[in-house]
Amino acid sequence: MIVLKYVKTLDARFISHIDLLKHMSRILRRAVVPVKHSQGFNPHALIFFSPPTVLGVNSYAEYVAIDTDMKGEEVFTRYNNSVPEGLKAIEWFECAKNPNIQGKSVSADYVFDVDYFDVDLSDGLTVTYKKKEDFVTEDISGKICGTFNADGRLGVRLASGNNNLRADRLATALNEKYGKDIKVTTIAKLCQYVLVDGVEKSVDEYLRETP
Amino acid sequence: MNEYKKKIDEILLSVEKPARYVGGEWNTPDMTKPHRAKFCFCFPDVYEIGMSNLGLQILYDVINSHPDFIAERCYAPWPDMGAKLRENNLPLLSLETATPLKDFDVVGFSVQFELLYSNFLYMLDLANIPFYAKDRGEEYPIICAGGPCAVNPEPFAPFCDCVLIGEGEEMDLALLKLVADGKEKGWTKAQILEKAKEIEGVYVPSMLGEGEKVVKAVVKDFENAPYPTKPLVPNIEIVHDRATLELYRGCASGCRFCQAGYYYRPIRERSPEKCAEYGKKMIDSTGFGEISLCSLSTSDYTGLMDLEKELRPFIEEKKITFALPSLRLSSFTKEMAQSSRKSSLTFAPEAGTQRLRNVINKNVTDEEIDNIGRAFEAGYDSVKLYFMLGLPTETDEDILGIAEICRRLKKLYFEIRHKKNLNISVSCAVFIPKPSTPFQWEEQISLDEMLRRQSLLRKALREIKGVSFSWHGAETSVLEVALARGDKRLAPVIVRAYELGAMFDSWTEYFNWDIWVQAFKDCGVDMQDYVGEISEDKVLPWDFIDIGVSKKYLLGQRHLAYQGITTKNCREGCNGCGANKLGRCTIT
Ligand code: SF4
Repeated sequence: MIVLKYVKTLDARFISHIDLLKHMSRILRRAVVPVKHSQGFNPHALIFFSPPTVLGVNSYAEYVAIDTDMKGEEVFTRYNNSVPEGLKAIEWFECAKNPNIQGKSVSADYVFDVDYFDVDLSDGLTVTYKKKEDFVTEDISGKICGTFNADGRLGVRLASGNNNLRADRLATALNEKYGKDIKVTTIAKLCQYVLVDGVEKSVDEYLRETP
Repeated sequence: MNEYKKKIDEILLSVEKPARYVGGEWNTPDMTKPHRAKFCFCFPDVYEIGMSNLGLQILYDVINSHPDFIAERCYAPWPDMGAKLRENNLPLLSLETATPLKDFDVVGFSVQFELLYSNFLYMLDLANIPFYAKDRGEEYPIICAGGPCAVNPEPFAPFCDCVLIGEGEEMDLALLKLVADGKEKGWTKAQILEKAKEIEGVYVPSMLGEGEKVVKAVVKDFENAPYPTKPLVPNIEIVHDRATLELYRGCASGCRFCQAGYYYRPIRERSPEKCAEYGKKMIDSTGFGEISLCSLSTSDYTGLMDLEKELRPFIEEKKITFALPSLRLSSFTKEMAQSSRKSSLTFAPEAGTQRLRNVINKNVTDEEIDNIGRAFEAGYDSVKLYFMLGLPTETDEDILGIAEICRRLKKLYFEIRHKKNLNISVSCAVFIPKPSTPFQWEEQISLDEMLRRQSLLRKALREIKGVSFSWHGAETSVLEVALARGDKRLAPVIVRAYELGAMFDSWTEYFNWDIWVQAFKDCGVDMQDYVGEISEDKVLPWDFIDIGVSKKYLLGQRHLAYQGITTKNCREGCNGCGANKLGRCTIT
């Protein structure tokens, strides 16, 4: 199993997660990376993704695990020759089985393109958004794991995985509460964290340790 | 990144499917090379449909492969995006480099069918380009249009500086060369158009002399004609999401209602070796999981078996599917049923009885319908059948014949498979008399009559288990005829309809019949003039176009239709339609 860490930026950040899932087997086919298929009546390619990043956000921490016998270096090179700039791979890892990044995800770091400021969560932080046909108002403060100063910009760690917080919703909440003008298309996702045996660590660290 | 691109990125998250508007598809050619002239293809429908159009991919590739020229694309923005562009004072932009349409040398619309005419104006409007050619000065690009609707361009001709009639591969390049020369030598638009007139297939509406004819452009050496072996790969799901092979142009069947069948003559086949080579190259360059064949009657293709043999090992190695669409009943064989995928079979008998099929020259016999049995043997459990209602001379008996075919198939299925769970879906379109067909003079049945016949069929089909029935909108069919057989008087009607809010007329959620009725009324034009029967001695708006097939031949076919006499398939021998004066029919 080879895991590629890739970016999703430029025009590619407007491709939805679902579309990219479908597209990945196409990319690997034109890259001539042989992908193993599941057995059974309806075989599908054994490709596994990290949790979706919201449309429009620039991500530097996307992962795809590919079940293949090809060497990592070769997969990496071939993949990169077959994708546009906005989807380039930046690193590769090898592991014995599907690392299940999606299932283990707990949080992710984002940097918002705005000067660092104190985000006060003591009274909660609400945001209203549309869910299907209804409007939902939610207190999202519990899903903000922390904030940090990222070279003068506002960095945040948000819940990811099953009970995630979409970065665009936090942007909306901050824009409303603090009169900011954070645009979703300027948000950058820098790091994805997973919970392994009760310890939170970056996916890179996890993959390096996994045999 | 240009300023427009930045602004577009900012509004993208407030519209549905933003990937429609960013471009960046795999295999996008170099947009930065030095060039003499720039072309923008405009497709007046949404991205997912436009991207599925083979003709556009071919021409895009032809222009971009030329060292002197660049072609970009622009698809009609969905209404949500159109509104956002207006709100933000942004003009309509090309996909590749976010360049306003106004800044191109040539803007070419691909007009695939009549219900897109309102979107033609929608796109010009968003681009801040005046509708009528006569109102556009030297500061505007040359606006042209081509595609199947150019068979009768009169309703939209006043919007165009020129119309490109026929196949664009050579014509587009010739026009671009001229425009580049004109730019370098300081010619006026009129001077360029004066010369463009001389290019085969180019019609300049403002300069057509009395009695002058425009001869349709035809690619004579189809075998070696350019083909996009590195087509664009969309980033989102589109309608035809696969590699497409064009096996041949034209059609040998001669169905009398079919415009494409006559318009794309002469019949020119490409060798199976070449097709297989292209298919492999396309899969390697795109990663598509499927190859499909595109031609008017794919299974008539002489090299089909050879092609399938050539491709088979490659398909198995790459684990891709190979789809055989629109199989013609008469050439359907068990091997084909087995080698294509086992989802649903599609057949188009078009009419319910042998009598009516003879009238329309759909040479499919009842015995051949029984051929579907071979597909049942091969494991198929569902069949899609296409028919037309309102064909010339149609009676209720013909309509009920459709139900009879369904019963026959059910019985056949039971005999072969000893099961009753066959699914049949019957899809009915309304007959549309189209220019350049033997039925171009026919009347279209009235709206009330369409509804009566539809309900007659629905009732008959309801009695058969496992049959579903769908039909196309009756009103859109009326509009389609009026626009298809229209003359220049319809240009202001289209403008009026657009002003009243018409756009995306091919989408049921946007089509508004009342708007069109109002637009005809406001312009003092009677829709009935275009929908009723046309007298044979009348000069038709499209008579000045020479598509190869002679008017005399079409008329002869019409008369044979009324006598129920069929015309043989061209593969059995030339019927003398006249098309081969424009290029050799390679099948005879
Ligand atoms: S020229 Fe002859 S063979 Fe060719 S399309 Fe016409 S009738 Fe058929």
